[in-house]
Amino acid sequence: MHDITVVDLSRWQFAITVLYHFLFVPLTLGLSFMLAAMETVYVTTGKQIYREIAQFWGKLFLINFALGVATGLTMEFEFGTNWSFYSSFVGDIFGAPLAIEGLMAFFLEATFVGMMVFGWDRLKRGQHLAVTYMVALGSNLSALWILIANSFMQNPQGATFNPATMRMELTSFTQLIFSHDAQAKFVHTSIAGYVTGAIFVAGISAWYMLKGRHIELARRSFRMAVLFGVLSTAGVITLGDALGFVGGQAQPSKLAAMEGLWKSEAAPMPFNLVAFPSQKEQVNHDQLQIPYALSLLVTHSMDGTVPGFDKLEQQAVGRIKNGIPAVEALQTLASKPGDAAALAQFRAHEKDLGYGFLVQRYAEDVSKATDAEIGTAARDIIPEVAPIFWSFRAMVAMGLAMLAFFVLAVIFSLRNDIVRQRWFLKIAVWMIPVPFLACEAGWLVAELGRQPWTVYGVLPTWMSASTHSVGYMIFSLVGFVGLYTVFIIAEMYLMLRAIRKGPDEPHGDDPDRDSDPMLNNSAKAGPFAGYAEG
Amino acid sequence: MDMYTVFQIVWWILLGVLLSGLAVMVGMDMGVGTILRYVGRSDLERRVALNIIGPHWEGNQVWFVLGGGAVFAAFPLIYATAFSGFYVVMLLLLWSMILRPLGFEYRSKLPSARWRGMWDWALFISGLVPMVVFGAAFGNLFEGVPFQFSWNLTSTYTGSFLALLNPFAILCGLLSASLSVFMGSVTVMNGAEGVIYERGRKLARFSAVLAAVLFAVGGFWVKGMQGYVLTSSPGAGVPQTPLQQVVTLIDGAWFGNLHTHAWLWLLPALGFAGMLFGLLAANARRSHLAWWSGAMAWVGVIATAGAALFPFMLPSSSEPAQSLTVWNSSSSELTLTWMFGFAVVFVPLIVWYTSWAFYVMRGKVKAEHVAADEHSY
Amino acid sequence: MKTLLLFVLFMLIAILVILLAIVLGDSGAWYFAWLVGTGMIVLITAAGGAMLDAQDEHAALETEAGTNAKRA
Repeated sequence: MHDITVVDLSRWQFAITVLYHFLFVPLTLGLSFMLAAMETVYVTTGKQIYREIAQFWGKLFLINFALGVATGLTMEFEFGTNWSFYSSFVGDIFGAPLAIEGLMAFFLEATFVGMMVFGWDRLKRGQHLAVTYMVALGSNLSALWILIANSFMQNPQGATFNPATMRMELTSFTQLIFSHDAQAKFVHTSIAGYVTGAIFVAGISAWYMLKGRHIELARRSFRMAVLFGVLSTAGVITLGDALGFVGGQAQPSKLAAMEGLWKSEAAPMPFNLVAFPSQKEQVNHDQLQIPYALSLLVTHSMDGTVPGFDKLEQQAVGRIKNGIPAVEALQTLASKPGDAAALAQFRAHEKDLGYGFLVQRYAEDVSKATDAEIGTAARDIIPEVAPIFWSFRAMVAMGLAMLAFFVLAVIFSLRNDIVRQRWFLKIAVWMIPVPFLACEAGWLVAELGRQPWTVYGVLPTWMSASTHSVGYMIFSLVGFVGLYTVFIIAEMYLMLRAIRKGPDEPHGDDPDRDSDPMLNNSAKAGPFAGYAEG
Repeated sequence: MDMYTVFQIVWWILLGVLLSGLAVMVGMDMGVGTILRYVGRSDLERRVALNIIGPHWEGNQVWFVLGGGAVFAAFPLIYATAFSGFYVVMLLLLWSMILRPLGFEYRSKLPSARWRGMWDWALFISGLVPMVVFGAAFGNLFEGVPFQFSWNLTSTYTGSFLALLNPFAILCGLLSASLSVFMGSVTVMNGAEGVIYERGRKLARFSAVLAAVLFAVGGFWVKGMQGYVLTSSPGAGVPQTPLQQVVTLIDGAWFGNLHTHAWLWLLPALGFAGMLFGLLAANARRSHLAWWSGAMAWVGVIATAGAALFPFMLPSSSEPAQSLTVWNSSSSELTLTWMFGFAVVFVPLIVWYTSWAFYVMRGKVKAEHVAADEHSY
Repeated sequence: MKTLLLFVLFMLIAILVILLAIVLGDSGAWYFAWLVGTGMIVLITAAGGAMLDAQDEHAALETEAGTNAKRA
């Protein structure tokens, strides 16, 4: 039997490690394509400044990339180490996109990132540009396959349970990769990365302009970043809406949590702009509503409705009762594979197998599950509403704020008087953390909203974890937190140092100097050799 | 033979190929990390050694990611059972491995000698520990791992963390580490000159001999061990769970496959030949030849282990009947087929552009160039 | 000859793009939209950079013209 403390600790560990990983991923996704755009200008116009620009942002890209790669390793391990039942139960489907990610994307990205860094002097201009594009394509294809895998957890399709092997198995690969959830989620996430890259570049460029340093580099970087950003932000919002639409149909309980819908209502439904959901009383306190808005937002019509938790909980009771015979049949099939009666019983109830597992948390022998236990299990389908409700609102608010920021920024930049708008430049610097927070909030909405399932409607979270002891979990949790804290300190220090130093102001003992042969090449060997020996 | 059986065997072989790729490519970088403090006495010498693998280590590391991903996709039950069972060891492997990207990227970003010295130790740990764990994991496969399944295939590991680091496992870990040091040494020979080259050559000769001795000792050790024999099971190519088998333990049974199919003796022979050629080539200063010999040695060693264990992949010492085999832990036919399609298209592509990357960055790494180039590690 | 080769190359790319559009569009168009959208975003961004240089040159010319006019 699973120890729920271990399950909770496993969830904490996964959330901490993945949220940490996801601090670095979006920047990689976006900055890589921005580097490609910058280098494209260098190759097409031949202007040296764009080479400097590409190399400078490339340096920051790498500092970030290193941690992205390092913490990505953790993720690949963690499914096996901490979610072993999950891994064996859906590995037939979930493992494939992860392996393909390695084959198709990560290899591309990682091989060419070395060329991108070391190849400036060894490759022709066009070759190097192609290499940069490969890095950008590779990192985004990585995201594609990871999100295809993730979408299977959100909206499992293209798979069915095979009693002969006691696990979920793939039935249609194309259904898996073309799931609407996967499509919308990939584009939403990838472009959210573009926005992150754009704000990062715009913010640092603004800081240089405020300080009156590297103006030529900063103006050009800013111009490119805001154009990149305004288009991407528009895309993110469009896709966010699409994702809400697709996801709302596939995961009604997530949608209900995002909107704080305790009671089902008649159309047209009002939208809770502000509310304080109480999980215990199943009501919202102090709500501020916009009439009609919810029906419009989530069903794109005035007469559409979505179910509230009252209805969903009721449905869950029925599905749990229907799922119990499926679990019983499986128990028979485990010892007597091929037992015809058990197989028939399983087939009749397999649609609700996952709901049968849900009640097994409270009644190990599901055939003896009482109505009270079924009721508790049905109540479990309500995820933690308040954090989902607020993360969602925070994400949307930040998205809209960034859109406004970029529109204004584009106007200033195209009018070519951005350098004079000091108040705006200050805002730009303070915008840097915003997309990172918005991405984290998006993850929280997506994955907290999926609870209590690891695979929505198929596999409950409580069954998915490995059977470790609490001691092991504390050991690993402490290890991760300790290690990751040290890493982020080192990363931030190097990043800030590289930013402060900037691209082309060489100091005597400076190891991070621009290697451009146009810039005081002769002064280089001396101090370098000096400290290398010392 | 039906297609499912064919794909199961194909994926078992492909897994061997990927693990060999991992051992050769990641092993060489980790070898350089392990010997960094020996081949490089000054900071500049160490930077030369690091920059030899500098442009390639990220790409090479993907072999590791892919190895993990392939086990997950093709043999999910193995991935789930082994990774959770080996929990603490896996964490040590992981924590040491995630030091590596930072060791490369961050080490030379600050001039401070203490900062750099700290990362040099990090690179040493992240070179040695994962390779020892990699070998030790193989060692544990021969001895069996204490795990069992419930009716719905929830696996429980019943051994202690220390049991995974038993003498035979450590022997295998040292074998793996010495092959990795060999590959690291000849890689340093490939890219360096002067004293660094000579130190690399010295280590290459030493580690080739050590690997051969450990491989031979390991062989005799396995001969004295109890091996697993699958006496009854639903058979190959049949969807099944690991709850439907009968397994017996017999002394020396791990040599059974080699006795029935005498040609399999070519595999350990390949391993020994690789080590011997490696030794001779390193001695004759033919470092590229030595590198390929080292790769051959890895393939020989991994193939020997795989062939001896077949069809077992993860034997259970506490419930031998629930041991995991190629037949009861593989993915479904559809998944294996799709994965095979992707592998057929992308593995040659990967080999092609990796070779191109090595071609572009060919030649010796010069100390003055490392010192002058801000991109270098 | 070179023109012909280029023509064939571009035709192949065009056909590939159209095929991709059909296959991807059939199963929901977001992947395809990403492909086109990303290409567009990168190109517009690059053009924006180049445009800044053009603006600068233009401004420089105008200043020069202004000084010349004053001199005259």
